[in-house]
Amino acid sequence: MIPSSPLIEARGLSKKYGSFLALDRADFVVQPGRIVGLIGPNGAGKTTALRAVLGLTTYDGQLRVLGREPFAERAVLMQETSFIADVAVLPSWLRVQQAIDFVAGVHPRFRRERAVALLAKTDIGMRRRIGELSKGMKTMVHLALTMAIDARLLVLDEPTLGLDILARRGFYDALVNDYMDETRTIVITTHQVEEVENLLTDVLFIDKGHIVLDCSVEDIGTRYAAVEVADDRVAAARQERPFYERRALGKTILYFEGADREKLEDFGEVGAPSVSDLFVAKLSAERAA
Amino acid sequence: MNDLIWLVRREFWENKAIWVMPACIGALLVVGSLFGKVEIAMLHASDQQSELAGVLFMVTIGGVFWVAMSIYSVWYMLDCLYADRKDRSVLFFKSMPVTDSATVVSKLFVGVVAIPLVYFCVADIAALLMAFVISVRAHLVFGNVLWSPGLWLQVQALWLYVLATGVLWYAPVVGWLLLVSAWAKRAVILQALLPPLAVMLAERLFLGTHVTAIVLRDRLLGGGYASFHHPIHWSLEKGEMTPGVWQLPDPVGFFSSADVWIGVLIGAACIAGAVQLRKRRTGT
Repeated sequence: MIPSSPLIEARGLSKKYGSFLALDRADFVVQPGRIVGLIGPNGAGKTTALRAVLGLTTYDGQLRVLGREPFAERAVLMQETSFIADVAVLPSWLRVQQAIDFVAGVHPRFRRERAVALLAKTDIGMRRRIGELSKGMKTMVHLALTMAIDARLLVLDEPTLGLDILARRGFYDALVNDYMDETRTIVITTHQVEEVENLLTDVLFIDKGHIVLDCSVEDIGTRYAAVEVADDRVAAARQERPFYERRALGKTILYFEGADREKLEDFGEVGAPSVSDLFVAKLSAERAA
Repeated sequence: MNDLIWLVRREFWENKAIWVMPACIGALLVVGSLFGKVEIAMLHASDQQSELAGVLFMVTIGGVFWVAMSIYSVWYMLDCLYADRKDRSVLFFKSMPVTDSATVVSKLFVGVVAIPLVYFCVADIAALLMAFVISVRAHLVFGNVLWSPGLWLQVQALWLYVLATGVLWYAPVVGWLLLVSAWAKRAVILQALLPPLAVMLAERLFLGTHVTAIVLRDRLLGGGYASFHHPIHWSLEKGEMTPGVWQLPDPVGFFSSADVWIGVLIGAACIAGAVQLRKRRTGT
Protein backbone atom coordinates (compact mmCIF):
# COMPACT_ATOMS: atom_id res chain seq x y z
CA MET A 1 0.00 0.00 0.00
CA ILE A 2 1.25 3.48 -0.85
CA PRO A 3 1.53 5.48 2.35
CA SER A 4 -0.90 8.35 2.02
CA SER A 5 -0.39 11.69 3.68
CA PRO A 6 -2.35 12.17 6.89
CA LEU A 7 -5.72 13.86 6.74
CA ILE A 8 -5.21 15.69 10.00
CA GLU A 9 -1.81 16.51 11.41
CA ALA A 10 -1.49 18.42 14.67
CA ARG A 11 1.87 19.34 16.20
CA GLY A 12 2.03 21.17 19.49
CA LEU A 13 -1.59 22.22 19.17
CA SER A 14 -2.49 24.56 22.02
CA LYS A 15 -5.46 26.72 22.88
CA LYS A 16 -5.86 29.03 25.83
CA TYR A 17 -9.10 30.48 27.14
CA GLY A 18 -7.95 33.23 29.45
CA SER A 19 -5.63 31.41 31.83
CA PHE A 20 -7.18 28.01 31.17
CA LEU A 21 -5.17 25.79 28.87
CA ALA A 22 -7.79 23.77 27.00
CA LEU A 23 -5.23 22.17 24.72
CA ASP A 24 -1.65 21.79 25.82
CA ARG A 25 0.77 20.97 23.01
CA ALA A 26 -1.31 18.11 21.69
CA ASP A 27 0.13 15.99 18.90
CA PHE A 28 -2.02 13.70 16.82
CA VAL A 29 -2.39 12.39 13.34
CA VAL A 30 -5.46 11.01 11.60
CA GLN A 31 -4.92 8.82 8.56
CA PRO A 32 -7.44 8.56 5.72
CA GLY A 33 -10.03 5.78 5.78
CA ARG A 34 -10.11 5.53 9.57
CA ILE A 35 -12.85 6.01 12.14
CA VAL A 36 -11.18 7.72 15.03
CA GLY A 37 -12.74 8.12 18.45
CA LEU A 38 -11.54 11.19 20.33
CA ILE A 39 -12.29 10.17 23.86
CA GLY A 40 -11.87 12.12 27.05
CA PRO A 41 -13.67 13.27 30.18
CA ASN A 42 -15.59 16.56 30.32
CA GLY A 43 -13.33 19.53 29.88
CA ALA A 44 -10.49 17.42 28.52
CA GLY A 45 -10.22 19.49 25.34
CA LYS A 46 -12.13 17.26 22.89
CA THR A 47 -14.43 19.94 21.61
CA THR A 48 -11.64 22.51 21.52
CA ALA A 49 -9.51 20.14 19.44
CA LEU A 50 -12.36 19.54 17.01
CA ARG A 51 -13.20 23.24 16.79
CA ALA A 52 -9.59 23.90 15.88
CA VAL A 53 -9.68 21.15 13.24
CA LEU A 54 -12.86 22.64 11.76
CA GLY A 55 -11.48 26.17 11.61
CA LEU A 56 -13.95 27.48 14.16
CA THR A 57 -11.32 28.80 16.52
CA THR A 58 -7.81 30.19 16.55
CA TYR A 59 -5.00 28.09 18.01
CA ASP A 60 -1.28 27.98 18.60
CA GLY A 61 0.97 25.33 17.13
CA GLN A 62 0.78 23.57 13.81
CA LEU A 63 -2.37 22.13 12.35
CA ARG A 64 -3.06 20.89 8.85
CA VAL A 65 -6.37 19.42 7.78
CA LEU A 66 -6.55 18.08 4.22
CA GLY A 67 -3.35 20.03 3.71
CA ARG A 68 -4.99 23.30 4.71
CA GLU A 69 -4.80 25.66 7.60
CA PRO A 70 -8.29 25.37 9.08
CA PHE A 71 -8.86 28.80 10.62
CA ALA A 72 -7.59 30.76 7.64
CA GLU A 73 -9.25 28.51 5.05
CA ARG A 74 -12.45 27.31 6.72
CA ALA A 75 -14.74 27.97 3.77
CA VAL A 76 -12.54 26.01 1.35
CA LEU A 77 -11.99 23.26 3.90
CA MET A 78 -15.75 22.86 4.31
CA GLN A 79 -16.06 21.73 0.69
CA GLU A 80 -14.46 18.45 1.68
CA THR A 81 -15.14 18.36 5.39
CA SER A 82 -18.50 18.19 6.99
CA PHE A 83 -19.42 18.17 10.63
CA ILE A 84 -22.18 17.79 13.12
CA ALA A 85 -21.20 19.63 16.25
CA ASP A 86 -23.63 19.01 19.04
CA VAL A 87 -27.24 17.88 18.77
CA ALA A 88 -30.11 19.81 17.23
CA VAL A 89 -28.28 22.84 15.88
CA LEU A 90 -30.44 23.21 12.79
CA PRO A 91 -32.35 26.48 13.15
CA SER A 92 -35.94 25.99 14.28
CA TRP A 93 -37.40 28.34 11.63
CA LEU A 94 -35.99 26.31 8.75
CA ARG A 95 -38.20 23.90 6.79
CA VAL A 96 -36.76 20.55 5.74
CA GLN A 97 -37.22 21.50 2.09
CA GLN A 98 -35.49 24.83 2.63
CA ALA A 99 -32.59 23.11 4.38
CA ILE A 100 -32.09 20.89 1.33
CA ASP A 101 -32.42 23.83 -1.06
CA PHE A 102 -29.96 25.90 0.92
CA VAL A 103 -27.27 23.23 1.17
CA ALA A 104 -27.79 22.36 -2.51
CA GLY A 105 -27.37 26.06 -3.29
CA VAL A 106 -24.13 26.68 -1.42
CA HIS A 107 -22.42 23.28 -1.36
CA PRO A 108 -20.85 22.03 -4.60
CA ARG A 109 -20.50 18.46 -3.31
CA PHE A 110 -24.04 18.05 -2.03
CA ARG A 111 -26.19 15.46 -3.78
CA ARG A 112 -29.80 16.45 -3.37
CA GLU A 113 -31.29 13.14 -4.49
CA ARG A 114 -29.26 11.35 -1.86
CA ALA A 115 -30.57 13.58 0.92
CA VAL A 116 -34.12 13.13 -0.34
CA ALA A 117 -33.67 9.35 -0.49
CA LEU A 118 -32.29 9.24 3.04
CA LEU A 119 -35.16 11.34 4.36
CA ALA A 120 -37.69 9.19 2.51
CA LYS A 121 -36.65 6.34 4.80
CA THR A 122 -37.89 8.38 7.76
CA ASP A 123 -41.40 9.75 8.17
CA ILE A 124 -40.24 13.36 8.21
CA GLY A 125 -42.21 15.48 5.74
CA MET A 126 -40.45 18.00 3.53
CA ARG A 127 -42.77 20.81 4.58
CA ARG A 128 -42.09 20.32 8.28
CA ARG A 129 -40.36 23.04 10.20
CA ILE A 130 -37.28 21.94 12.16
CA GLY A 131 -38.77 23.47 15.31
CA GLU A 132 -41.72 21.09 15.11
CA LEU A 133 -39.56 17.96 15.01
CA SER A 134 -38.40 15.85 17.94
CA LYS A 135 -34.74 15.97 18.89
CA GLY A 136 -34.18 12.57 17.28
CA MET A 137 -35.84 13.70 14.04
CA LYS A 138 -33.78 16.91 13.93
CA THR A 139 -30.66 14.80 14.26
CA MET A 140 -31.79 12.54 11.42
CA VAL A 141 -32.43 15.54 9.16
CA HIS A 142 -28.99 16.90 9.95
CA LEU A 143 -27.43 13.50 9.36
CA ALA A 144 -29.24 13.13 6.02
CA LEU A 145 -27.94 16.54 4.92
CA THR A 146 -24.45 15.68 6.06
CA MET A 147 -24.41 12.21 4.53
CA ALA A 148 -25.48 13.64 1.18
CA ILE A 149 -22.29 15.71 1.10
CA ASP A 150 -19.47 13.93 -0.62
CA ALA A 151 -16.85 14.80 1.98
CA ARG A 152 -13.49 13.23 2.71
CA LEU A 153 -13.62 14.05 6.40
CA LEU A 154 -16.64 13.93 8.68
CA VAL A 155 -16.36 15.25 12.20
CA LEU A 156 -18.99 14.38 14.78
CA ASP A 157 -18.91 16.08 18.16
CA GLU A 158 -21.33 14.47 20.59
CA PRO A 159 -23.82 13.92 17.77
CA THR A 160 -26.24 11.83 19.84
CA LEU A 161 -26.10 13.54 23.21
CA GLY A 162 -29.50 13.45 24.88
CA LEU A 163 -31.11 11.21 22.28
CA ASP A 164 -32.96 8.06 23.28
CA ILE A 165 -31.47 4.68 22.56
CA LEU A 166 -33.52 4.11 19.39
CA ALA A 167 -32.45 7.40 17.87
CA ARG A 168 -28.84 6.79 18.83
CA ARG A 169 -28.85 3.32 17.30
CA GLY A 170 -30.55 4.64 14.16
CA PHE A 171 -27.91 7.35 13.85
CA TYR A 172 -24.95 4.99 13.99
CA ASP A 173 -26.62 2.36 11.81
CA ALA A 174 -27.21 4.93 9.08
CA LEU A 175 -23.65 6.17 9.41
CA VAL A 176 -22.08 2.75 9.10
CA ASN A 177 -24.41 1.25 6.50
CA ASP A 178 -25.08 4.20 4.23
CA TYR A 179 -22.04 6.39 4.58
CA MET A 180 -18.78 4.85 5.63
CA ASP A 181 -16.50 3.50 2.96
CA GLU A 182 -12.74 3.41 2.43
CA THR A 183 -12.68 6.93 0.93
CA ARG A 184 -14.04 8.51 4.06
CA THR A 185 -12.62 9.38 7.40
CA ILE A 186 -14.64 10.02 10.51
CA VAL A 187 -13.55 11.64 13.75
CA ILE A 188 -16.04 11.28 16.52
CA THR A 189 -16.29 12.33 20.13
CA THR A 190 -18.84 10.97 22.49
CA HIS A 191 -19.45 10.31 26.15
CA GLN A 192 -21.01 6.99 25.31
CA VAL A 193 -17.83 5.14 24.44
CA GLU A 194 -19.56 1.75 24.60
CA GLU A 195 -21.82 2.78 21.78
CA VAL A 196 -19.10 3.57 19.28
CA GLU A 197 -16.31 1.28 20.31
CA ASN A 198 -17.29 -1.38 17.78
CA LEU A 199 -17.17 1.18 15.00
CA LEU A 200 -13.79 2.68 15.76
CA THR A 201 -10.57 1.74 14.03
CA ASP A 202 -8.47 4.11 16.14
CA VAL A 203 -8.69 5.79 19.49
CA LEU A 204 -7.24 9.03 20.74
CA PHE A 205 -7.50 9.50 24.50
CA ILE A 206 -7.30 13.06 25.66
CA ASP A 207 -7.08 14.38 29.19
CA LYS A 208 -6.34 17.89 30.44
CA GLY A 209 -5.40 19.01 26.97
CA HIS A 210 -2.88 16.23 26.40
CA ILE A 211 -3.15 13.23 24.12
CA VAL A 212 -2.78 10.31 26.51
CA LEU A 213 -3.06 7.53 23.99
CA ASP A 214 -3.01 7.34 20.21
CA CYS A 215 -3.52 3.75 19.10
CA SER A 216 -5.38 1.69 16.54
CA VAL A 217 -8.01 -0.65 17.92
CA GLU A 218 -6.18 -3.67 16.44
CA ASP A 219 -3.04 -2.66 18.31
CA ILE A 220 -4.81 -2.42 21.64
CA GLY A 221 -4.80 -6.22 21.81
CA THR A 222 -1.08 -6.48 21.21
CA ARG A 223 0.01 -3.46 23.23
CA TYR A 224 -2.26 -3.88 26.21
CA ALA A 225 -3.41 -6.81 28.26
CA ALA A 226 -5.98 -7.14 31.03
CA VAL A 227 -5.36 -10.07 33.32
CA GLU A 228 -7.86 -11.46 35.81
CA VAL A 229 -5.78 -12.54 38.74
CA ALA A 230 -6.94 -14.54 41.75
CA ASP A 231 -6.07 -12.95 45.09
CA ASP A 232 -3.21 -15.32 45.94
CA ARG A 233 -1.37 -14.46 42.72
CA VAL A 234 -1.79 -10.68 42.80
CA ALA A 235 1.50 -9.99 44.58
CA ALA A 236 3.42 -12.06 42.05
CA ALA A 237 1.59 -10.47 39.11
CA ARG A 238 2.43 -7.01 40.41
CA GLN A 239 6.09 -7.83 39.81
CA GLU A 240 5.33 -7.47 36.09
CA ARG A 241 4.52 -3.78 36.70
CA PRO A 242 0.86 -3.31 35.79
CA PHE A 243 0.00 0.36 35.19
CA TYR A 244 -3.45 0.02 36.72
CA GLU A 245 -5.52 -2.41 38.68
CA ARG A 246 -9.08 -2.70 39.83
CA ARG A 247 -11.22 -5.16 41.76
CA ALA A 248 -14.10 -6.93 40.06
CA LEU A 249 -16.16 -9.91 41.22
CA GLY A 250 -13.68 -11.15 43.77
CA LYS A 251 -10.75 -10.95 41.42
CA THR A 252 -8.24 -8.26 40.65
CA ILE A 253 -7.86 -7.12 37.08
CA LEU A 254 -4.39 -5.91 36.29
CA TYR A 255 -3.63 -3.86 33.18
CA PHE A 256 -0.28 -4.18 31.46
CA GLU A 257 1.33 -2.31 28.65
CA GLY A 258 3.86 -4.05 26.41
CA ALA A 259 4.24 -6.99 28.78
CA ASP A 260 5.21 -10.51 27.79
CA ARG A 261 1.96 -12.35 27.13
CA GLU A 262 3.23 -15.80 27.99
CA LYS A 263 4.38 -14.64 31.39
CA LEU A 264 1.04 -13.00 32.07
CA GLU A 265 -0.83 -16.18 31.29
CA ASP A 266 0.71 -17.73 34.40
CA PHE A 267 -1.33 -15.36 36.55
CA GLY A 268 -4.75 -15.83 35.05
CA GLU A 269 -6.92 -15.26 32.04
CA VAL A 270 -5.41 -12.73 29.64
CA GLY A 271 -7.60 -10.64 27.37
CA ALA A 272 -7.50 -7.42 25.39
CA PRO A 273 -9.13 -4.60 27.36
CA SER A 274 -12.18 -2.99 25.78
CA VAL A 275 -11.81 0.62 24.68
CA SER A 276 -13.85 1.85 27.61
CA ASP A 277 -11.90 -0.25 30.13
CA LEU A 278 -8.63 0.89 28.66
CA PHE A 279 -9.84 4.48 28.80
CA VAL A 280 -10.64 4.23 32.50
CA ALA A 281 -7.37 2.42 33.20
CA LYS A 282 -5.22 4.87 31.24
CA LEU A 283 -6.82 7.97 32.67
CA SER A 284 -6.84 6.75 36.25
CA ALA A 285 -3.17 5.81 35.94
CA GLU A 286 -2.31 9.19 34.39
CA ARG A 287 -4.05 11.02 37.16
CA ALA A 288 -2.51 8.93 39.93
CA ALA A 289 0.97 9.51 38.51
CA MET B 1 -22.35 35.59 -5.98
CA ASN B 2 -24.36 32.38 -6.00
CA ASP B 3 -23.65 31.98 -2.29
CA LEU B 4 -24.84 35.51 -1.64
CA ILE B 5 -28.16 34.88 -3.36
CA TRP B 6 -28.76 31.84 -1.15
CA LEU B 7 -27.65 33.67 1.96
CA VAL B 8 -30.05 36.50 1.24
CA ARG B 9 -32.85 34.03 0.52
CA ARG B 10 -32.07 32.41 3.85
CA GLU B 11 -32.53 35.78 5.58
CA PHE B 12 -35.98 36.12 4.03
CA TRP B 13 -36.90 32.63 5.22
CA GLU B 14 -35.84 33.42 8.76
CA ASN B 15 -37.12 36.99 8.96
CA LYS B 16 -40.61 36.92 7.53
CA ALA B 17 -41.19 40.28 9.23
CA ILE B 18 -39.14 41.86 6.43
CA TRP B 19 -42.22 41.83 4.23
CA VAL B 20 -45.01 40.94 6.69
CA MET B 21 -44.55 44.11 8.74
CA PRO B 22 -44.68 46.62 5.87
CA ALA B 23 -47.56 44.64 4.35
CA CYS B 24 -49.50 45.04 7.61
CA ILE B 25 -48.70 48.76 7.80
CA GLY B 26 -49.78 49.18 4.18
CA ALA B 27 -53.01 47.28 4.79
CA LEU B 28 -53.76 49.43 7.84
CA LEU B 29 -53.20 52.63 5.86
CA VAL B 30 -55.42 51.47 3.00
CA VAL B 31 -58.15 50.42 5.43
CA GLY B 32 -57.71 53.80 7.11
CA SER B 33 -58.23 55.58 3.81
CA LEU B 34 -61.38 53.53 3.25
CA PHE B 35 -63.01 54.55 6.49
CA GLY B 36 -61.12 57.62 7.61
CA LYS B 37 -62.32 61.19 7.25
CA VAL B 38 -61.29 62.70 3.91
CA GLU B 39 -60.08 66.23 4.22
CA ILE B 40 -62.33 68.12 1.83
CA ALA B 41 -60.68 71.47 2.45
CA MET B 42 -58.32 70.86 -0.43
CA LEU B 43 -61.17 70.28 -2.85
CA HIS B 44 -61.42 73.95 -3.63
CA ALA B 45 -57.76 74.59 -3.50
CA SER B 46 -55.71 76.15 -6.22
CA ASP B 47 -53.53 73.95 -8.44
CA GLN B 48 -50.44 74.79 -6.49
CA GLN B 49 -52.08 74.10 -3.20
CA SER B 50 -53.32 70.75 -4.36
CA GLU B 51 -49.90 69.90 -5.72
CA LEU B 52 -48.53 70.59 -2.29
CA ALA B 53 -51.26 68.37 -0.87
CA GLY B 54 -50.18 65.61 -3.22
CA VAL B 55 -46.58 65.92 -2.18
CA LEU B 56 -47.52 65.98 1.49
CA PHE B 57 -49.70 62.92 0.98
CA MET B 58 -46.88 60.89 -0.50
CA VAL B 59 -44.23 62.22 1.83
CA THR B 60 -46.42 61.35 4.81
CA ILE B 61 -46.97 57.79 3.63
CA GLY B 62 -43.29 57.48 2.84
CA GLY B 63 -42.47 58.92 6.25
CA VAL B 64 -44.57 56.33 8.05
CA PHE B 65 -42.78 53.55 6.20
CA TRP B 66 -39.41 55.22 6.67
CA VAL B 67 -39.81 55.31 10.46
CA ALA B 68 -41.06 51.70 10.61
CA MET B 69 -38.27 50.58 8.28
CA SER B 70 -35.59 52.33 10.34
CA ILE B 71 -36.77 50.70 13.56
CA TYR B 72 -37.03 47.26 11.99
CA SER B 73 -33.73 47.54 10.16
CA VAL B 74 -31.90 48.57 13.33
CA TRP B 75 -33.41 45.61 15.14
CA TYR B 76 -32.54 43.28 12.27
CA MET B 77 -28.91 44.36 12.15
CA LEU B 78 -28.51 44.01 15.91
CA ASP B 79 -29.96 40.52 15.82
CA CYS B 80 -28.54 39.09 12.60
CA LEU B 81 -25.10 38.03 13.80
CA TYR B 82 -26.32 37.17 17.29
CA ALA B 83 -29.45 35.04 16.81
CA ASP B 84 -27.70 32.06 15.23
CA ARG B 85 -25.03 32.08 17.92
CA LYS B 86 -27.74 32.11 20.56
CA ASP B 87 -29.60 29.10 19.12
CA ARG B 88 -26.27 27.54 18.07
CA SER B 89 -27.41 27.11 14.45
CA VAL B 90 -24.20 28.95 13.62
CA LEU B 91 -22.62 25.49 13.94
CA PHE B 92 -24.74 24.36 11.01
CA PHE B 93 -24.12 27.42 8.88
CA LYS B 94 -20.39 27.28 9.55
CA SER B 95 -20.30 23.71 8.27
CA MET B 96 -21.11 25.09 4.82
CA PRO B 97 -18.36 26.23 2.44
CA VAL B 98 -19.36 29.87 2.81
CA THR B 99 -16.92 32.52 3.97
CA ASP B 100 -17.66 34.61 7.01
CA SER B 101 -17.31 37.76 4.95
CA ALA B 102 -20.03 36.52 2.57
CA THR B 103 -22.26 35.89 5.56
CA VAL B 104 -21.71 39.36 6.99
CA VAL B 105 -22.10 40.99 3.57
CA SER B 106 -25.39 39.15 3.01
CA LYS B 107 -26.74 40.51 6.30
CA LEU B 108 -25.45 43.99 5.54
CA PHE B 109 -27.15 43.80 2.14
CA VAL B 110 -30.45 42.74 3.67
CA GLY B 111 -30.23 45.45 6.33
CA VAL B 112 -29.38 48.41 4.09
CA VAL B 113 -30.67 47.41 0.65
CA ALA B 114 -33.26 44.63 0.76
CA ILE B 115 -35.31 45.84 3.72
CA PRO B 116 -35.46 49.50 2.53
CA LEU B 117 -36.42 48.36 -1.00
CA VAL B 118 -39.18 46.08 0.30
CA TYR B 119 -40.57 48.97 2.36
CA PHE B 120 -40.20 51.28 -0.63
CA CYS B 121 -42.20 48.95 -2.88
CA VAL B 122 -44.89 48.31 -0.29
CA ALA B 123 -45.13 52.05 0.38
CA ASP B 124 -45.65 52.59 -3.34
CA ILE B 125 -48.37 49.99 -3.57
CA ALA B 126 -50.06 51.36 -0.46
CA ALA B 127 -49.88 54.94 -1.78
CA LEU B 128 -51.39 53.89 -5.12
CA LEU B 129 -54.22 52.05 -3.43
CA MET B 130 -54.84 54.92 -1.03
CA ALA B 131 -54.79 57.50 -3.81
CA PHE B 132 -57.32 55.40 -5.66
CA VAL B 133 -59.57 55.03 -2.63
CA ILE B 134 -59.34 58.69 -1.67
CA SER B 135 -59.92 59.84 -5.23
CA VAL B 136 -63.06 57.78 -5.48
CA ARG B 137 -64.27 58.94 -2.10
CA ALA B 138 -63.50 62.60 -2.87
CA HIS B 139 -65.44 62.34 -6.12
CA LEU B 140 -62.37 62.47 -8.32
CA VAL B 141 -61.71 66.15 -7.65
CA PHE B 142 -58.82 65.45 -5.45
CA GLY B 143 -57.72 62.62 -7.71
CA ASN B 144 -55.98 64.74 -10.31
CA VAL B 145 -53.31 65.57 -7.84
CA LEU B 146 -52.75 62.17 -6.35
CA TRP B 147 -52.57 60.58 -9.77
CA SER B 148 -50.22 63.10 -11.30
CA PRO B 149 -47.49 60.97 -12.97
CA GLY B 150 -44.94 63.75 -12.92
CA LEU B 151 -45.33 64.24 -9.23
CA TRP B 152 -45.35 60.53 -8.66
CA LEU B 153 -42.01 60.07 -10.40
CA GLN B 154 -40.52 63.01 -8.57
CA VAL B 155 -41.44 61.59 -5.20
CA GLN B 156 -40.13 58.15 -6.22
CA ALA B 157 -36.81 59.65 -7.17
CA LEU B 158 -36.79 61.62 -3.96
CA TRP B 159 -37.30 58.55 -1.81
CA LEU B 160 -34.65 56.56 -3.66
CA TYR B 161 -32.31 59.47 -3.09
CA VAL B 162 -33.21 59.45 0.61
CA LEU B 163 -32.55 55.69 0.81
CA ALA B 164 -29.22 55.88 -1.02
CA THR B 165 -27.89 58.84 0.94
CA GLY B 166 -29.33 57.38 4.13
CA VAL B 167 -27.27 54.20 3.74
CA LEU B 168 -24.07 56.21 3.34
CA TRP B 169 -24.88 58.70 6.06
CA TYR B 170 -25.81 56.01 8.57
CA ALA B 171 -22.88 53.72 7.60
CA PRO B 172 -21.15 54.19 10.99
CA VAL B 173 -24.40 53.34 12.79
CA VAL B 174 -24.90 50.29 10.58
CA GLY B 175 -21.30 49.20 11.17
CA TRP B 176 -21.65 49.65 14.92
CA LEU B 177 -24.86 47.58 15.01
CA LEU B 178 -23.26 44.72 13.07
CA LEU B 179 -20.16 44.89 15.25
CA VAL B 180 -22.21 44.63 18.44
CA SER B 181 -24.31 41.87 16.91
CA ALA B 182 -21.18 39.86 16.14
CA TRP B 183 -19.68 40.60 19.55
CA ALA B 184 -22.47 40.39 22.14
CA LYS B 185 -22.95 37.28 24.21
CA ARG B 186 -26.24 38.58 25.61
CA ALA B 187 -28.39 41.72 25.80
CA VAL B 188 -27.51 43.09 22.36
CA ILE B 189 -29.61 46.23 22.68
CA LEU B 190 -27.97 47.21 25.95
CA GLN B 191 -24.53 46.50 24.57
CA ALA B 192 -25.25 48.71 21.58
CA LEU B 193 -26.43 51.62 23.72
CA LEU B 194 -24.17 51.49 26.76
CA PRO B 195 -20.74 52.20 25.23
CA PRO B 196 -21.78 55.48 23.55
CA LEU B 197 -23.67 56.53 26.68
CA ALA B 198 -20.66 55.63 28.83
CA VAL B 199 -18.32 57.66 26.63
CA MET B 200 -20.70 60.63 26.76
CA LEU B 201 -20.97 60.40 30.53
CA ALA B 202 -17.23 59.95 31.04
CA GLU B 203 -16.49 62.92 28.81
CA ARG B 204 -18.91 65.06 30.72
CA LEU B 205 -17.59 63.97 34.12
CA PHE B 206 -13.88 64.18 33.42
CA LEU B 207 -13.58 66.81 30.72
CA GLY B 208 -16.80 68.72 31.18
CA THR B 209 -17.37 68.78 27.41
CA HIS B 210 -20.10 67.42 25.16
CA VAL B 211 -18.23 66.58 21.98
CA THR B 212 -19.38 62.95 21.82
CA ALA B 213 -22.98 63.91 22.41
CA ILE B 214 -22.85 66.52 19.68
CA VAL B 215 -21.16 64.18 17.21
CA LEU B 216 -23.74 61.48 17.92
CA ARG B 217 -26.65 63.91 17.70
CA ASP B 218 -25.44 65.34 14.40
CA ARG B 219 -24.97 61.85 12.99
CA LEU B 220 -28.31 60.46 14.14
CA LEU B 221 -30.43 63.47 13.25
CA GLY B 222 -28.37 65.09 10.51
CA GLY B 223 -29.08 62.75 7.60
CA GLY B 224 -31.63 65.02 5.96
CA TYR B 225 -29.55 68.09 6.71
CA ALA B 226 -26.59 66.61 4.85
CA SER B 227 -28.42 65.36 1.78
CA PHE B 228 -30.88 68.25 1.19
CA HIS B 229 -30.61 71.96 0.57
CA HIS B 230 -31.50 73.89 3.64
CA PRO B 231 -33.44 75.58 4.82
CA ILE B 232 -36.30 73.97 2.92
CA HIS B 233 -38.82 76.69 2.13
CA TRP B 234 -42.26 75.25 2.04
CA SER B 235 -44.67 78.05 2.30
CA LEU B 236 -48.06 76.70 3.11
CA GLU B 237 -49.60 80.14 3.37
CA LYS B 238 -48.62 81.10 -0.13
CA GLY B 239 -49.72 77.71 -1.28
CA GLU B 240 -46.61 77.16 -3.28
CA MET B 241 -43.39 75.32 -2.91
CA THR B 242 -40.09 77.08 -3.27
CA PRO B 243 -38.06 75.46 -4.51
CA GLY B 244 -39.78 72.57 -6.34
CA VAL B 245 -39.23 68.91 -5.52
CA TRP B 246 -36.34 68.58 -7.96
CA GLN B 247 -34.50 71.41 -6.31
CA LEU B 248 -34.61 69.90 -2.84
CA PRO B 249 -31.81 67.31 -2.93
CA ASP B 250 -28.24 68.45 -2.65
CA PRO B 251 -26.24 65.52 -4.06
CA VAL B 252 -23.17 67.60 -4.84
CA GLY B 253 -23.03 68.88 -1.29
CA PHE B 254 -23.68 65.43 0.10
CA PHE B 255 -21.11 63.51 -1.90
CA SER B 256 -18.45 66.15 -1.39
CA SER B 257 -18.98 66.23 2.36
CA ALA B 258 -16.08 64.94 4.45
CA ASP B 259 -18.57 63.93 7.16
CA VAL B 260 -20.14 61.43 4.78
CA TRP B 261 -16.92 59.75 3.79
CA ILE B 262 -15.45 59.71 7.28
CA GLY B 263 -18.66 57.96 8.33
CA VAL B 264 -18.36 55.46 5.50
CA LEU B 265 -14.78 54.70 6.54
CA ILE B 266 -15.79 54.16 10.16
CA GLY B 267 -18.67 51.96 9.00
CA ALA B 268 -16.35 49.89 6.81
CA ALA B 269 -13.89 49.45 9.68
CA CYS B 270 -16.71 48.26 11.97
CA ILE B 271 -17.92 45.79 9.34
CA ALA B 272 -14.40 44.44 8.88
CA GLY B 273 -14.31 44.01 12.66
CA ALA B 274 -17.64 42.19 12.56
CA VAL B 275 -16.21 39.75 9.98
CA GLN B 276 -13.22 39.04 12.23
CA LEU B 277 -15.49 38.45 15.22
CA ARG B 278 -17.71 36.25 13.11
CA LYS B 279 -14.72 34.07 12.26
CA ARG B 280 -13.90 33.60 15.92
CA ARG B 281 -17.23 33.37 17.70
CA THR B 282 -19.29 30.24 17.44
CA GLY B 283 -21.29 30.53 20.62
CA THR B 284 -22.66 32.95 23.13
